[in-house]
Amino acid sequence: MKQKNSYRRSILLLLLVLPCFVFAQSTLIGKVNSDKGETVPFANVIQKGTTNGTTTGIDGNFTIEVPSLPTTLEFSSLGYLTVELRVTNATPITVTMGESAQALEEVVVTGLATSVKRTNSANAVASISAEQLTGTTPPPTLDGALYGKFAGAVVNSNSGAPGGGISVKLRGATSLQGNIQPLYIIDGVYVDNSSIAAGLNTVSGAASGGSASNQDNPTNRIADLNPEDIANIEILKGASAAAIYGSRAAAGVIIITTKRGKAGETQFKFSQSVGWVEAINLLGVRDYTAARVEESFGAADAALFVAASNAGTLVDYEKEIFGEHGIVSNSNFSMAGGSDKTKFFAGISHNNEAGIVLNTGYEKTSFRLNLDHKPQDWLKFTLSTNYIYSSSDRGFFNNDNTGTTIGIALTATRPWDNLFPDANGIYPDHPNNSSNPLQTRDLVRNNETVNRFIMGGTVNLDIYKADNSNLELILRGGMDMYAQKTRAIFPKELQFQKLTNGGLNGVSSQGDTQNKNYNLSGFLVHNYFTDNDINFRTQAGLTNEFFDRNTVLVTATGLVASETNVDQAANTGVNQTRVQQEDSGFFVQEEVNFQDMLIATIGVRGDKSSNNGDANKLSYYPKGSLAVNINEFGFWKEDGAWDQFKLRAAYGEAGNFPPPGALFTSYNAFSTGGILGISLIGVRGDKSIVSERQKELEFGTDLSFLDGRAGLTATYYIKTIDDLILQSALEPSTGYTSEFVNAGALENKGIELSLDLVPVRTENFEWNLGINWFKNTSEITRLDVEPFNIGAFGAGLGTFRIEEGSSATQIVGSFAGELRVVGDAEPDFQMGINNNLRYKNLDLTFLWQWKKGGDNVNLTTLLTDLNRTSHDYDDITVDPDGLVVNGQYRPGAAADVHTQDASYLRLRELGLYYTIPKAMLSGVIGGTFDSIRLGFSGSNIINIFDYNSYDPEVSNFGGGTIFSGVEVTPFPSSKRYLFHVAANF
Amino acid sequence: MKKYLYKIMFFALVLVTTVSCEVEEFSDLNNAEVDAFEENLTRGDLQDLVGGLLYSSRLRLGTYYDDCGVIGREFYRFSGSDPRFTGDLLGGGELTLDNNTFYITAPWASRYLTVKNANLILGFLDGQDTSAQFTTAEVNATKGLLKTFIAYELLLNLNLTYENGIRLDVADENNLGPFVGYNQSLTGIRALLVEAASDLSNGGSDFPFILSSGFSLFNTPGTFLQANNAIAARVATYQGDASATLAFLNNSFMVMDSEQLNLGMFYTFSLDQTDIANPLFFSIEGLSAANARIAQPNFVPEAETGDNRLSKVVLLDDPIMQDDLSGNYALFRYTSNVDDIPIVRNEELILLYAEANITINPSETVNALNLIRNSAGLPNYTGTNDPTALTNEMLTQRRYSLFAEGHRWIDMRRYNKLGDLPIDRTADDVWVQFPIPLTENQ
Repeated sequence: MKQKNSYRRSILLLLLVLPCFVFAQSTLIGKVNSDKGETVPFANVIQKGTTNGTTTGIDGNFTIEVPSLPTTLEFSSLGYLTVELRVTNATPITVTMGESAQALEEVVVTGLATSVKRTNSANAVASISAEQLTGTTPPPTLDGALYGKFAGAVVNSNSGAPGGGISVKLRGATSLQGNIQPLYIIDGVYVDNSSIAAGLNTVSGAASGGSASNQDNPTNRIADLNPEDIANIEILKGASAAAIYGSRAAAGVIIITTKRGKAGETQFKFSQSVGWVEAINLLGVRDYTAARVEESFGAADAALFVAASNAGTLVDYEKEIFGEHGIVSNSNFSMAGGSDKTKFFAGISHNNEAGIVLNTGYEKTSFRLNLDHKPQDWLKFTLSTNYIYSSSDRGFFNNDNTGTTIGIALTATRPWDNLFPDANGIYPDHPNNSSNPLQTRDLVRNNETVNRFIMGGTVNLDIYKADNSNLELILRGGMDMYAQKTRAIFPKELQFQKLTNGGLNGVSSQGDTQNKNYNLSGFLVHNYFTDNDINFRTQAGLTNEFFDRNTVLVTATGLVASETNVDQAANTGVNQTRVQQEDSGFFVQEEVNFQDMLIATIGVRGDKSSNNGDANKLSYYPKGSLAVNINEFGFWKEDGAWDQFKLRAAYGEAGNFPPPGALFTSYNAFSTGGILGISLIGVRGDKSIVSERQKELEFGTDLSFLDGRAGLTATYYIKTIDDLILQSALEPSTGYTSEFVNAGALENKGIELSLDLVPVRTENFEWNLGINWFKNTSEITRLDVEPFNIGAFGAGLGTFRIEEGSSATQIVGSFAGELRVVGDAEPDFQMGINNNLRYKNLDLTFLWQWKKGGDNVNLTTLLTDLNRTSHDYDDITVDPDGLVVNGQYRPGAAADVHTQDASYLRLRELGLYYTIPKAMLSGVIGGTFDSIRLGFSGSNIINIFDYNSYDPEVSNFGGGTIFSGVEVTPFPSSKRYLFHVAANF
Repeated sequence: MKKYLYKIMFFALVLVTTVSCEVEEFSDLNNAEVDAFEENLTRGDLQDLVGGLLYSSRLRLGTYYDDCGVIGREFYRFSGSDPRFTGDLLGGGELTLDNNTFYITAPWASRYLTVKNANLILGFLDGQDTSAQFTTAEVNATKGLLKTFIAYELLLNLNLTYENGIRLDVADENNLGPFVGYNQSLTGIRALLVEAASDLSNGGSDFPFILSSGFSLFNTPGTFLQANNAIAARVATYQGDASATLAFLNNSFMVMDSEQLNLGMFYTFSLDQTDIANPLFFSIEGLSAANARIAQPNFVPEAETGDNRLSKVVLLDDPIMQDDLSGNYALFRYTSNVDDIPIVRNEELILLYAEANITINPSETVNALNLIRNSAGLPNYTGTNDPTALTNEMLTQRRYSLFAEGHRWIDMRRYNKLGDLPIDRTADDVWVQFPIPLTENQ
């Protein structure tokens, strides 16, 4: 009932304030120029919040009478950005209006419904423009475009399979068991970023070895969003900025704003890119000789090797599998325009990308329609709609315990093995492994298809506007619905499916997921300006979010004929998983801006959730911040070298829910020869589990000088997580191997530096340089349970270990029963260097990304060693005594051999574009085209690393864990080359 | 103007109504919670709970049998995706058994999980008035079965950790009993079996639930009592208590009949998606080092000529090798992925009988061994009746009769003969026992 009362109160306020209007009058004169120095005729000049207004003359001059000073004038004109100007005295005014195609003065969000100028922000909020996002080279997925572009994010690709599977982690370790992926909000809609497994485990048996984590490596659903639709992304990296999002915000919040129409002539834009992907790095074949083959595989194989070698029929199977050039094609068409009252943006895009392995690929079609309607001055409706179809074929990779994935099969394959189908298309059985990787590649299908609809709407209502105060009501609703189908088909003719080989005679695993999220919220925002230019902004609101997901996975084995329907099978198993959650909360926030000198914010969010032990108990998340713009204090001359000198500090708290199932100790249903039964599964829940609480304090400074040509942002943060939820090991003799407990605390400290420079700026040549550098260190500051191992394959091969006083991502190995630290997944630092050079109409952009340090647990080499196929089997590089060849040294060696430095330096993005100027196009189709842009771009073109596998950027266990960097025969990553043509008309 | 205002006011009102309502509290949406059985345990519930016990008693059995079989040098376990079967388990190079790796943690935890499944049911039965649903005899019968299961599961873990011991008393998960040594553990397991036997003998004529086909001969309290005694006989043999062994065997289902060696109690398997397939089966066709169990090379040459128990292995066209190990014979003890695995069977009981009589009545030992030998197609035993010779012959017969059933390693350990097991690579070791899993915090 809050809104209604506030509404009544504001009406009352309105009545009280109205009579003030009739006093002193002032005459203001001025001129309106465009940013290109031309005058702007017929621009509207309105005293904000009133009907008092005028228009500029042909020379751009205007005169307006206002009842009192200070007041705010609003300048608007078709094709230009609206400008608001606060006028405090009657000196002549000069207003410069930017063309609407150019960005507004950058703002950053501070509340659920408000934003401030970046220069007044107390947080280091990163933001990425459309130009930065897609301008250099179009990324395959949205999250794939975040690499190296701002400080504080570790972006990691889990595998090279087309169609995503990327994790984004903000400011170090957020949680050990809970969610670590940021909350994504697109135009006010909470969007789902689940990764839903396709049931490959039935065949791979990967999780049967004791690691419960899903190793299917599905796509994460944020990959559905079309990067081309996005106007701006803001990243709230931690609780100090994101506290207002409360109980879901601990891992940070990524706020995405999509493109919207602007009043004026309808703008059409078409772009097409075509190119290819190829593997960035293949390992190669072991340096076989007849003697080595005989020693490793016996005389029979040696004879086969010699014969094949003489006949020239040795095959590089790695190249055969991973050596494809996948064709990439992206098409985008958009149009935007509208009138003052109604504006629209419509865009359609189609992406089609084949992978570096045959029969893998990713296809996506996205359609967007954004509408803005402003029936009255004081009322605005906005609507965003997005429909997405995506389909990805991801192949069959990663870890297994059955020798069936393509990666595992390759480890056992020698160049003289004959795996190609005969003239009748019959594949021979692999002589040395339970699956033939060529047959698996050609016959297995692992497809995910998504139909998704995301829709959000907002109503902004100015309840009242007066000279020095106004009250706005904002109502917002959003919905994210999708249906996902997963289809994993293993036909019965596969070597490992044949009954005679002990197979299951074909597996068809079909999953259907229905996901529906919706969120509703309402806010009131009140602004009050005092006479000496102090702004008080008060906001309050209510929020409600509902999440509902239902996955039914049917796995059929023993397929009839070549049927894949799950009922045409000997055995069928069904698995249903439901996730439901309802959250409800409120927030209040007060911002005070003292003449742009001091900007202080204080606020609190209260949340309740069905996911807490006590669903209707409110948890409170406070926040507070202060920014001091020293340059505004008048110490320096207006035209001095300092443009900005800001000191800022911010504190906030946010929550992270217990993972699903943490509250319950439950039985699962199983059967024994047809007798149904329920058994424990080894995990003990706890009804009294509470959310993790993150407390973040950040402070820093923003400096800008030399006319904005040099800027430095430095931030230091301390992020602690209390009530850390652990799936802590329990004495297995209890009947449970682990239990969920709130039993620890974690601390992250980090530094983020960003430097923006314009070293050269002349009429014809401009060089923009952006450098970001960041470092995070984590420490388990409190652990109430015994130290435990987590997240890999045991201490013998190297595992993560949670221990008080140590880094949260330390890697330990067992040395004759004694544990020793052998590495840490945390990088020493990361760095991004972005260069943008423009000479006349030629643009060159390139982005280097450097990750220094951080270790992986690389088990791929171990597996190839066991099969004696390692590319470096006969080299002697790992034995400290220099005696034993790698291939023989590694299998018996302790974990430190498998723990490897995963540093890399990459040319992440490169783009070279030429824009054909309008003048040259005047003769083309009657001068229809405004501009045509031609270019070439690429990603991951240069990759420098020491790591002994395809790519140090990998995660066998997917993106849902901070324990990434475990590698077991992944899908190798790829580089992309694209050619572009784009036209505006 | 006004009409917009009304519309928006209406929308706001709807929103406020939606938002201010209470948040719904959900129970576990996907599974049955344990708490749900603490009151009103029904016959249907008991069937489900016992069904769960049958399920979990088979979890990670494959790893258990691999542990015993590989360390006992019965067979090699080759795996393209896990190096530790040929590394740690055989003690290759500098490698030792780790206390936090699947080969001990997984079977150990699965056995205790089954113990917990059983203890929870015992708790449900004791914690509420069940007289409306079950007779006293039915409750006794159920308890007898549950305790027998608990004892057997504990025995399997003790087989792995041997003198490192096990926790005997784990009924209260918040107050676990201490680790106790090998002998004390055996005493405790035997006492529990005796207690279970007493419950079963007061258990009336029927269980209030059905069991899987592996228990078809033991699906009443009376017949299950025979299986209980069979397990007790094995425990008594491990204790070196020959007279108790014979007493237990007397009350077991042992029959001196060469046609009925395979009589017994079995784990069953199926391909049903919620069930488990036989973990010890690999098809011979298409067998490769990626996943294979290959008989230790001495198994076939060391057998007597004509021993038909060599049908438990199959000669391969080409040897399969991995990690400097190689063999021509693949394990074929189980011939399909739904074959039963014995819990205890008559052939073992006859051999237990032979073993117990070495000191008490050697001629009975010879008779029992001859029964086994003849059924294997071998002539009568021709050696002397002195205990050493009979023990060696008994161990040899156990080696071939109970091949790949998890006995060889334990038998050789009982007689301090682990040093007699073959070492296939110079730096290999024969482990005596597994370490206690790290997470037991010992």
